[in-house]
Amino acid sequence: MLLHALLGGVVFGCYFTLIGLGLNLVFGVMRIVNLAHGDVLMLGSFAAYFLFHLAALSPLSAAPLIVIGFFLLGLPFYYLVVPRLAASRDAEMLSFILFFGVQQIIEALAAIAFGSSERSIPARVLGIGAVHLWGQSLPRAWVISALVALAAVLALYLYLYHTRLGLLTRAVMASREEARASGIDIHRVSAIAFGIGLALAGLAGVFAPFMLGSITPAMGSTINLAAFAVIVVGTLGNPLGTVLGGLVYGVGLLMMQTYLSAWADLLPNLLLILVLLVRPSGLLGRRVRLA
Amino acid sequence: MNQGRRRGFLNALLMLLITLAIASPIAAGAEGAAPAEIKIGHLHAASGPYASISMPVYDTLKLWVDQQNAAGGAFVKAFNKKIPLKLISYDDQSNPGTAAILINQLITQDKVDLLVCDSGSVLTAVAVPIAREHKMFLFDPTGTGAAFFSKDNPYIALLADPVSTVWPRYLWEFLKSDAAALGLKRVAILYATNDFTGTQASAIRAALKEAGSPSEIVFDQGVPTSTSNYSVLIDNIAATNPDIVLELGYVGNDIAFLRNLQDQDHKFKAVFTLYPGIETNVLMKNVGAQGLAGVFTYVTALGLTLKPEIGMTVEELRAAFEKAYGGGGVEFGWNAIAGHVTGLVIGETLAHADSLSQADLRQAVFGLSGKLKTLVGTFELREDGAQIGELTPIGQFGPDGKLAVVYPHEFATAKPKINAP
Amino acid sequence: MPRAARDFLRVGVPVVLLFALLPLFYQNELLLFNFVLFLILTQGLNAVYGFTGYLPFGYVGFFGAGAYGFALAVMHLAAPPLLALLLAGLAGVVLGLILTPLLRLSGAYFAIANLAAAQMVYQIIANPALADITKGPYGVSLASVFAPRASYAVALVILAFVLGLVAWLRHGRFGLALQAMRDDPVSAAMAGIPVLRGRVVAWLLSALIAGLAGGVFAWHISVFYPETAFDISISIFAIVFTLFGGAATLTGPIAGVLVLYGLYNVIGISVPQYFQLIYGALIVGLVLFLPRGFASLLSRRGIDVP
Repeated sequence: MLLHALLGGVVFGCYFTLIGLGLNLVFGVMRIVNLAHGDVLMLGSFAAYFLFHLAALSPLSAAPLIVIGFFLLGLPFYYLVVPRLAASRDAEMLSFILFFGVQQIIEALAAIAFGSSERSIPARVLGIGAVHLWGQSLPRAWVISALVALAAVLALYLYLYHTRLGLLTRAVMASREEARASGIDIHRVSAIAFGIGLALAGLAGVFAPFMLGSITPAMGSTINLAAFAVIVVGTLGNPLGTVLGGLVYGVGLLMMQTYLSAWADLLPNLLLILVLLVRPSGLLGRRVRLA
Repeated sequence: MNQGRRRGFLNALLMLLITLAIASPIAAGAEGAAPAEIKIGHLHAASGPYASISMPVYDTLKLWVDQQNAAGGAFVKAFNKKIPLKLISYDDQSNPGTAAILINQLITQDKVDLLVCDSGSVLTAVAVPIAREHKMFLFDPTGTGAAFFSKDNPYIALLADPVSTVWPRYLWEFLKSDAAALGLKRVAILYATNDFTGTQASAIRAALKEAGSPSEIVFDQGVPTSTSNYSVLIDNIAATNPDIVLELGYVGNDIAFLRNLQDQDHKFKAVFTLYPGIETNVLMKNVGAQGLAGVFTYVTALGLTLKPEIGMTVEELRAAFEKAYGGGGVEFGWNAIAGHVTGLVIGETLAHADSLSQADLRQAVFGLSGKLKTLVGTFELREDGAQIGELTPIGQFGPDGKLAVVYPHEFATAKPKINAP
Repeated sequence: MPRAARDFLRVGVPVVLLFALLPLFYQNELLLFNFVLFLILTQGLNAVYGFTGYLPFGYVGFFGAGAYGFALAVMHLAAPPLLALLLAGLAGVVLGLILTPLLRLSGAYFAIANLAAAQMVYQIIANPALADITKGPYGVSLASVFAPRASYAVALVILAFVLGLVAWLRHGRFGLALQAMRDDPVSAAMAGIPVLRGRVVAWLLSALIAGLAGGVFAWHISVFYPETAFDISISIFAIVFTLFGGAATLTGPIAGVLVLYGLYNVIGISVPQYFQLIYGALIVGLVLFLPRGFASLLSRRGIDVP
């Protein structure tokens, strides 16, 4: 049971890395908290749902379309909203409110357009049955989602550390002011990062019908709470740290389910607070504590 | 400075007054002989966690009102004529605080004649004391929380769900008789920790622990209602080697559990879950006939062929629902039926009440107890307003996706089968 | 007359009087009660955000702790409502004390950690393992003390107390020191202001206010589930109203509640089918076009907002 929870937790945690990845990139680059992240993910789920049921596209072939589509949606949305927000007195705090409003709009529109009943994509699309790893059996969907998540992390790493735009992005993450002073077009860099953030949320959404059983327009807020725990534990503002957060979250959750199931939802919050109190900057972070 | 301060406050005051002026309705018409319309106040949740159980109720209640109005209105005994109905339904967004305000709005501002609360116990709860305070009789479609019903509160009746302490009766009887005879003695209980499923789990637990019970509980754990993966839990249950696994959760829980079950090597001899018989469409679409084959569940009106003395049959209602709302993302299921039953009870109440006073409405509702036979069976109220009439037999899905009743024997259409281990 | 007393008389007293008189003309008393509740909560939030810069996203945690403090006192100690209300305030303060270490965090870290803390309190109270004490997920019913008139009146008393408190914070020595700390903690510390103690006191005052609000809410509503008392939208509404009214003023949060909560209810009652959509759009529009709140409309023109 212990080995199963550990191995399952690692695989499951990879998917939660994917859930937190985009949120963390957006926070790292723009210092804003996208409270509508879970709702963007929900839209990704519904996009995958309709592409499967109306266009008979399997989620794996729908995923690239959704990634590109969400990225392209992110660019105009950034220019419409974020520069105005950045001009306010307390942008970090005000972003909570702004994106709460955005979340309300998305959820309301989704409820009107999609209705309230639970939906999903049949499990057989990704293959039914267990995958055997080191004598443990794991759901096939978990393994596939984990592989996609790792590919996304790798792609983000290559972007950040091996492209010119990635270098500029890291410069903005290190200091927005210095980046601006050294002539970087921070809005272009940020808009692309914002687009990538939404694209990653959409990608995570593609696998939600398999990982979470079913999808509804209301699923966003639960996802957000998990995503917060993942990125804070993994280091807020450090996208690659999200991997660590995801793994801690996944292993912790499955261990709790194994040994103390009724308290399982307490764990992400407990981890989050403990990590913040012991290392306010997250497990991998630089010191950012102010007081 | 002084002027600015005063102006700030006056502005605020002005805005409040405007707000209130808009919020209050146009003054109600004078008390006359027969009203031009009968106002039914209702709440629904168009979004948020309770939307999936609330919207079907709203849809069929609306459908029923439209049908009545198409026929010239509902017959109202108090005025001995047909009067059109007006359904005023606000969206509480699954937010209990907003639900409380809107219920009060229906009572105090819209001055509705009949009051129907939102489904789902969390949203029903806030309406109970408000209705009582205003001496309004509360038509409660599906809020089953045991705490709502007490002998000193005459202002509530549960219409379309059996109260949660009574509901699982056939399940424990089945476990202790037929299931045990089939060798399904080791029972695992996995439940979501909310009022609805938690209460059912306690009732079942208590019954199985009674002296002389042949069943033995080998696993008994709660999980948060937000749980969406059951893989590890299924593994842990399998380690206790149970004969039958009871998974009690909301729709989302049951879907996740049944889907995870397909991904596992473990095959339990028997599995019971709540919702396959309650929201059959949703479960069938999300889990598939293959995933439901062999699963035990409660059989609601959806799986029974009861002949109603009033209102539509299940199939007629299903057809009407699909015609009106098909493809809108709200599935037909038990909650849709509950909305129809709510309409029928309201209609019969109006047809029997001597006046529209809340006391007479209550008397009329309780007068229907044991007499009204709808598509869900006999409407029967306990003294405290809890519903005890409807039947929830135990059924099992066949490999073709058909649900057959296996217990109690007087309704049984098939014998329970167990999977090869 | 000290400025704090003057502000209280000119702004606080009329608001309290207004809500004392409105039930005579308007019967949806629960709507008025919720206005009062948010007037209290926004000032409580103001006490910590407006004067120290900490934005507690999990403010509802204190509110829920207060609601359950009240419920437990009634259920287990058979306490009379007023005593239970004091215990509700105490529950808020105790939770505040437990969470004091969070003040070491800043910005989004503090906001998220506080949200997680509120969730934890909810998850503990709603856990069936504690059903014998808290009734867990099964909800509480306090029909024995249900008294809507009395609880409304007490809510007004709490509102008066809170408005007085914030008026004092704005002009009193302690509040001025807090504002100095918020704007520049390093210089404030060098000027001999005990930064840490000041923050903790503001934090606990804010927790006390939310605890009292939760207690009076439990008394007024009387049948509720943990989901009701810990509804995250209570936090978010209080924050939205405070930010839009204008933090660190007395009138700002009041105007925020009257206008935005007023609009919320107007929309909900007049266009229920697009309730959430319109309200969401309203919030987005306000952030984008009025990022510094209503008070900024006046202060930008050189008008002092009390």
